[in-house]
Amino acid sequence: MKQENIRNFSIIAHIDHGKSTLADRILDATSAVTEREQKKQLLDNMDLERERGITIKLNAVQLKYHYQNEDYTLHLIDTPGHVDFSYEVSRSLAACEGALLIVDAAQGIQAQTLANLYLAMENDLTIIPVINKIDLPNADIERVKKELKDTLGFNEDEIILTSAKSGIGITELIEAIIEKIPAPKGNKDDNLQALIFDSYYDAYRGVVALIRVVNGKIKVGDQMKMMSNGLTYEVVELGVHNPYPAKKDMLVAGEVGTVCGSIKNISDIKVGDTITIEDSPASNLLPGYKPMKSMVFCGLYPLDSSKYPELREALEKLKLNDASLEFAPETSKALGFGFRCGFLGLLHMEIIQERIEREFNIDLIATSPSVIYEITLTDGSVINIDSPVKMPDKVKIVDIKEPYIRTNIFVTSEYIGPIMELCQNKRGIYHSIEYLDNTRVSIHYEIPLSEIVYDFFEKLKSYTKGYASFDYDFIGYKSSNLVKMDILLNGEIIDALSIIVHKDFAYNRGRIIVENLRKLIPRQQFEVPIQASIGNKVIARADIKAVRKNVLAKCYGGDVSRKRKLLEKQKEGKKRMKMIGSVEIPQEAFLSVLSMDEED
Amino acid sequence: MIKACYIHIPFCERICSYCDFCKVYYDNKWVNDYLTSLELEIKDKYQGDVLDTIYIGGGTPTCLKIEELKRLFDIIKMFKVSDNLEFTIEGNIESIDEEKLKLFKNNYVNRLSIGVESFHPKHLELLNRRHSTKETIDALTLIKKMGFKNINIDLIYAIPNQTIDELKEDLNLFLKLDLPHLSVYSLIIEEHTKLYLDKVDNIDEDLDYEMYQTINQILTNHGYHQYEISNYAKDNYESKHNLTYWNNEEYYGFGLGASGYLGGVRYTNTRSISNYLKGNYVNEKIQLTKDEMVENALILGLRKIKGIKIENFEQKYGIKMMEDKVIKELIKEEKLISNNGYIYINSKYIYLSNEILVRLMK
Repeated sequence: MKQENIRNFSIIAHIDHGKSTLADRILDATSAVTEREQKKQLLDNMDLERERGITIKLNAVQLKYHYQNEDYTLHLIDTPGHVDFSYEVSRSLAACEGALLIVDAAQGIQAQTLANLYLAMENDLTIIPVINKIDLPNADIERVKKELKDTLGFNEDEIILTSAKSGIGITELIEAIIEKIPAPKGNKDDNLQALIFDSYYDAYRGVVALIRVVNGKIKVGDQMKMMSNGLTYEVVELGVHNPYPAKKDMLVAGEVGTVCGSIKNISDIKVGDTITIEDSPASNLLPGYKPMKSMVFCGLYPLDSSKYPELREALEKLKLNDASLEFAPETSKALGFGFRCGFLGLLHMEIIQERIEREFNIDLIATSPSVIYEITLTDGSVINIDSPVKMPDKVKIVDIKEPYIRTNIFVTSEYIGPIMELCQNKRGIYHSIEYLDNTRVSIHYEIPLSEIVYDFFEKLKSYTKGYASFDYDFIGYKSSNLVKMDILLNGEIIDALSIIVHKDFAYNRGRIIVENLRKLIPRQQFEVPIQASIGNKVIARADIKAVRKNVLAKCYGGDVSRKRKLLEKQKEGKKRMKMIGSVEIPQEAFLSVLSMDEED
Repeated sequence: MIKACYIHIPFCERICSYCDFCKVYYDNKWVNDYLTSLELEIKDKYQGDVLDTIYIGGGTPTCLKIEELKRLFDIIKMFKVSDNLEFTIEGNIESIDEEKLKLFKNNYVNRLSIGVESFHPKHLELLNRRHSTKETIDALTLIKKMGFKNINIDLIYAIPNQTIDELKEDLNLFLKLDLPHLSVYSLIIEEHTKLYLDKVDNIDEDLDYEMYQTINQILTNHGYHQYEISNYAKDNYESKHNLTYWNNEEYYGFGLGASGYLGGVRYTNTRSISNYLKGNYVNEKIQLTKDEMVENALILGLRKIKGIKIENFEQKYGIKMMEDKVIKELIKEEKLISNNGYIYINSKYIYLSNEILVRLMK
């Protein structure tokens, strides 16, 4: 394949703007997939992805297209759309020369449109703006065109109109990819530099790295070397997806494919790292590599304590495919043995929890999410803690810093008021408001990350009837007046329910948590007090009443089968409770500390 | 040998808001066909056992017209019965009259169970029952005058907005009537009932429990003894028929939606009247496993205040109760009591008996 006939590109978009459907249409148009195989959203492999309509893991597909008497090879590199995975997005964009920027014809530019566009621009990509879903009844093509021109500086004639659903504009789009996106520039005779932009675990082949060969070539049998950590492996297999795996003997500069080397541990293969050849190494890493860092932490415990080994196994298996997942054993007095887990963000956390429950069938108790706090102690040392339980004694603390983010909230101007109110309630500091046009604004606040991990997303949705889109950047650590608040049941501290909270918000928060727990925890064999305390000072209290009645009032002969079902249901219900001391606590109680609202 | 037989008459002239039993509006076009089908079902299943108890329940059996009732009794004549037969018929206040009572008497009915439910107009209205206090008292006086001695009434408590004082008034009226048996149920808001659809809430749990204690106290003070969670009787007036159920013994069940227990199989008849009239009687048959039989014996047996007779249980199921791990635990926790050859739920925990039963289930 001639290097000048290769085009490497990604598709970037805000969630639900039709990225995956468009990718499918491109696959159809290049006849990569027969109709029978056209499951909706072919590139999204995991069930969960399909269900949530989001792309979590990357994929790269090789496509062939004949155009003006030339054969072209197109590599479509799929990217996750969500902010949690922005580093992965940035690395997969680094593997491309161009990107399609998809904007929904009805919704226009949204938060992640911009976030992803900026990432693409940082990587010097040629951008093709695409307005998708143009056949929607509420499409407003002219308005979206104007946004693309006025806000992002595109020319009208660059914009391509498509409907991925109906297949409109796909041929023009593919031809634009060939015409506008430059061919890869690398030199195939240089020493090998191949960028790892994703990896996954295959039960038979071990870790499979997805790479873009930037310079040089890689052949089966080469001794390859990871430049960040110096580990070396023999290249056992090379391949491409078209979209089904096909083996190759060699990948050369400009090409995208997979490489395997009997690698057992996925953490050895770091996204963003550069592969070279051990004997003739490249002199430097490709730019942009940074290790991924967990931002959000929580404890995961099996509801049924005997499933601890299974939970470990589940985490290990998930980790095989997800180098960004961190976990370490943790013990809770209340919950027994579990794991402290670190995630890139909230969505990442939710996805992992859901996968454990669904794919591994382990009922989980998740403790409330925490961020990393930076604590300066009286002896001058600085420690980082990722869990309220690890908070040192108050007298030893000089200062606590917490991570802040800057929001990028896209919304129509009528919602400015409610959003400002929401951000202020979340301890936000006003930064700026940008007007995209007369009606649409981007609101910037600086907010502690720990406030976002509570119910910010849901709140944002309900405050704006679902219209707001949201994205954030991590901006660094700032000092805050924070305290640890404990929750006591029957006089005992339940460590899994402790949270770190701003002092000025503690009283109100304590009252709401105690009240929510009172509603969530069913009546017990005896009366149980629930208290919220800071240090030794109780700041809120409520009581769970004793159960008085649990009886089948009426039961005659024929009823017994029905009543049995009722008792079986009760028994099942009890299994889903966690026994702590002598109190039975339902799973969801552990997350009740998340909600700032009083439950109904 | 099967000793008990239940016959279901599903017809009602009015549907009570809490009722999730099998019932249909009374329509004389259907009654005769229904009785024909019932007769066929009985002929099909009945093996000639000598019965100790017959129980005609509903629905509202007394809403049948006199001719229809005569036909029902003709059908029942095919049963062989023992000398001390307990023969119960259920009824409501509105549909009882002298002529019907005379007919019952002549056909060996010796126990009446009347759905009074409440004496209070406000609560009766919520329950969608329309009889006045006077009508209730008149009807029960008539029943006694006609020579019936073994009489039960049903009362419901824990009705939304009911107060303890209103409950006490109901109990006092019952006591004035001087009847030997009372079934008194805490209102259950079942799915598929009007109350459920109207989203009526249960009363507060603490108040419910207080009402239960009030009932227990007042009735005990007046010579009634509680022999099952919701049943009180003067000595020797316990319902023999219902004890068959609670003793987990087998029985015939005939009629629309009725259940029976024969040869280790629990069956439930169809609730569809058209199917029933076509002779497709049984809807579901479950062959019980040994474990299920044992669990049923516990679920039902521990409803009795006297509890389960250890010796009988061991003979019937081959299980040494006193060696069972959970039973031993429960005895240690004083939730179950073992005394005089019986195991029973500590009266303190009767109102929490599900908590105990759940632990006894595998």
